[in-house]
Amino acid sequence: MGAVFSAGDTFAEYKKAPVSRLQLARFAGASGDFNPLHLFSGVGEKAGTGGVIAHGMLVMGMVGEAITRWVPRKALKKISVRFTGMTFPGDEITVSGRITEVLKNGEETRIVCEVTAKDQKGQVKISGSFEALV
Amino acid sequence: MAALDKKGLEFEKYSMPVERGKIKELVDAIGDRNPIYFDPGAAKLAGYRDITIPPTFMQVIDMWSGVHDFDSKCKKLGMNPLKVLHGEQEYEYLEDIYPGDQITGATKVTDVSVRTGSSGGMNIFRLETSYTNQHGQLVMISRSSIIERH
Repeated sequence: MGAVFSAGDTFAEYKKAPVSRLQLARFAGASGDFNPLHLFSGVGEKAGTGGVIAHGMLVMGMVGEAITRWVPRKALKKISVRFTGMTFPGDEITVSGRITEVLKNGEETRIVCEVTAKDQKGQVKISGSFEALV
Repeated sequence: MAALDKKGLEFEKYSMPVERGKIKELVDAIGDRNPIYFDPGAAKLAGYRDITIPPTFMQVIDMWSGVHDFDSKCKKLGMNPLKVLHGEQEYEYLEDIYPGDQITGATKVTDVSVRTGSSGGMNIFRLETSYTNQHGQLVMISRSSIIERH
């Protein structure tokens, strides 16, 4: 690919449009995850989330989208995330990433990177890592 | 503890073809406009022979095969749906995946732990799913943790 990757390098932050309730309905249908927590405010209140929350997998989808802007989809070998905070309608997710290790093995170069998704207040929704062959 | 007994449990296998329409629906819902998911020409330039799937697509196979859904999974693990959270998710990508591939998922509970804490305890279920295609190739692996708050 020609690009030079070094440990400590950061990727361009990727900012998404605010999460909307319509998006949650679409995501429920697309993914097949119809957990009512993501669709009906009353259920969120009963579950103690304080209202509708976004699917964690929607935010992970945004993380995957950001990563595959930084490295080719075909190069991606692994994504590993922890869901650390709830995302609400209106939240604006920004995904950031940084190379932590560059592993060379013969012809093969594998980068190990950290990735984080935060909302507009800086609250972390997802933290994790990914690996790619570059 | 009933939760601990779930360790080693294997879910019924499920199978579903990768469909172009489901790929498009998922990337549209995420807002991912990478053309490799809907334009075969762009996908070919990226080294694929047809469009491919976005990194989190296997969730669609998990939920739409008609074998398992959120409620049935909760029942199988003995979880109260209102107390369930997705804790962690990992995907390992082994082979390219294309529309028309018939994917079979096999899920196993690899570990169960119970935690107690000042803010309330939780059961943590660790699941691993292997995905094979119609040629019997292992194409992806998912590892996840599901949290049930007490």
